[in-house]
Amino acid sequence: MDKTDNRSERLAMQKELGAKGERPARSLGISRRIFLHKSVLAGVGGAAAAGWFPFLNTIEVAQAAQTSFRFAWISDTHMYPREVNTRFVEKTIRAFKEVQAMNPPADFLIIGGDIGQLGNPVELELGAELLKEVKTKKVYIPGEHDWYLDMGKAWEKMFGAPYWYFDHKGVRFIGLDTISHAKDFWTIKKMTPQERMGHMATLDGTVGGAWAAVGPEQLAWLDRTMSSWPKDKPVVIFSHNPLFDYYAPWNFWVRDWREVNEILKRHDNVTSVHGHVHQVLYHEIGKMRSIGMLATSWPWPYAPKGVPKLTKCMVRVDPGDYFDGVGWSALGMNSASKVDNEYVMWRKDIYATATADSGCGDNRNQVLHPRLADAETPPNTADASRARTTEK
Amino acid sequence: MKLTRKNWISACGALAVLFLVASQAAAHKEKHTPEQLKVFEEVFLEQVRIGDLLFHGDAETEKTMGVQLSRTGMSCAMCHPFASDTHPHEFPKFQEQIGKFSTLRDMINWCIEKPNEGVKLDSDSDAMKALEAYIYWSNRGSKLEPGTH
Ligand SMILES: [Fe+2]
Ligand SMILES: [Fe+2]
Repeated sequence: MDKTDNRSERLAMQKELGAKGERPARSLGISRRIFLHKSVLAGVGGAAAAGWFPFLNTIEVAQAAQTSFRFAWISDTHMYPREVNTRFVEKTIRAFKEVQAMNPPADFLIIGGDIGQLGNPVELELGAELLKEVKTKKVYIPGEHDWYLDMGKAWEKMFGAPYWYFDHKGVRFIGLDTISHAKDFWTIKKMTPQERMGHMATLDGTVGGAWAAVGPEQLAWLDRTMSSWPKDKPVVIFSHNPLFDYYAPWNFWVRDWREVNEILKRHDNVTSVHGHVHQVLYHEIGKMRSIGMLATSWPWPYAPKGVPKLTKCMVRVDPGDYFDGVGWSALGMNSASKVDNEYVMWRKDIYATATADSGCGDNRNQVLHPRLADAETPPNTADASRARTTEK
Repeated sequence: MKLTRKNWISACGALAVLFLVASQAAAHKEKHTPEQLKVFEEVFLEQVRIGDLLFHGDAETEKTMGVQLSRTGMSCAMCHPFASDTHPHEFPKFQEQIGKFSTLRDMINWCIEKPNEGVKLDSDSDAMKALEAYIYWSNRGSKLEPGTH
């Protein structure tokens, strides 16, 4: 593709795909502004003091730093078979087209898990077929919705090993599998593969226990992979689930995240990029920055507790508009070796400017309770009980 | 989980008997027995259970009750885990999507009809009452703030 002179093509795509009143996607090169997190410029203290208030912890800088190369993230497309939910397919196609049209182009696309909704090979094949649209290099990590029908068989056959690393232009990129380590809750209850998948696909069900984990074997691999890379050189680590404790009752975490962090904290410049939460999220743990990605399918609400203080919440989404609160991300390594993230959200504003418009606005008066069904069928693992007590 | 409609009916039956006994006692109201309170609670919790199943897209429950809450594969819980973001304690209020003063039941029906592309419920139907029971139960302890956006 012509890197410099496809503006008219991009504008035509915007016209065709965009809705009335919609903000043009910056990554299409229509506007050249980029967002930089203030913590990059002013240090963590400044951002922490700013709290979640809009436009304080994220500032808009025109051409502040040269981008040395770009890459793209798409995840949580949650496709059912084509005939069941056409809108999820429509949005997936749109994201793929936009990544293909990025200018300057992405060096690679990471698919961050939850391609399908119920692990059905038909769903995964649909994803693989639509992905032919994207000609750039593609890498993949799994999501729980891809995995628990056949324990990853179809996914691995189509998309390869669930964890890996590669080095690109002075950055070590690592893909983690946080998916395949659920403790066996199905055998003793004689569940069918469909029932097992159903429990794993229910965010607010606790039958699956605290399933997200890296596991001892992969931790040892991660230790070796990090040890063989200089401590001051940048590392970008992709995982489906956040590598910190956000809201365990919805499994917005990885149960052995502390062990992961023990390994990562030896390095000076680590950026974690994750999916699964379907929302704008930002956190810092020691020197590690963590950025949550949008889904293309639908946004999860912010959890009632535990939203990281550094997160500037996204807007309260219009439930009548299935293009609101969703999208993908164009990322880049800038000349200061930091990751810049641009949310390509398909509607209006990304960040809220007032509590009434904020996705976190409800949290001031919202007391929630786990499901009765789960209280009557206690979760099966020790980790799950820990999950409940670590909730902040 | 199976819909325990039988339990529900028997709980209602037990309640009817209690009312009958109560009304025969005529002039003076009898003191409530722990068993009686248990039945009251059970009647409510059974509705919560049914509502939970409907809210989470349980096909069998929908079939039993003759309702279709979604045609997109999306269930209520996929946007509202633990019935979050439903804020039942803020109704009635002006609801901007509907464009008028609305109750929680109006909003439930809006979600069924618009984003879910399902078939709207009779506002006094069993399914609507069960959904309402589940949503209220999940949000108990939140402060009543009717009219809040
Ligand atoms: Fe997801
Ligand atoms: Fe997920």
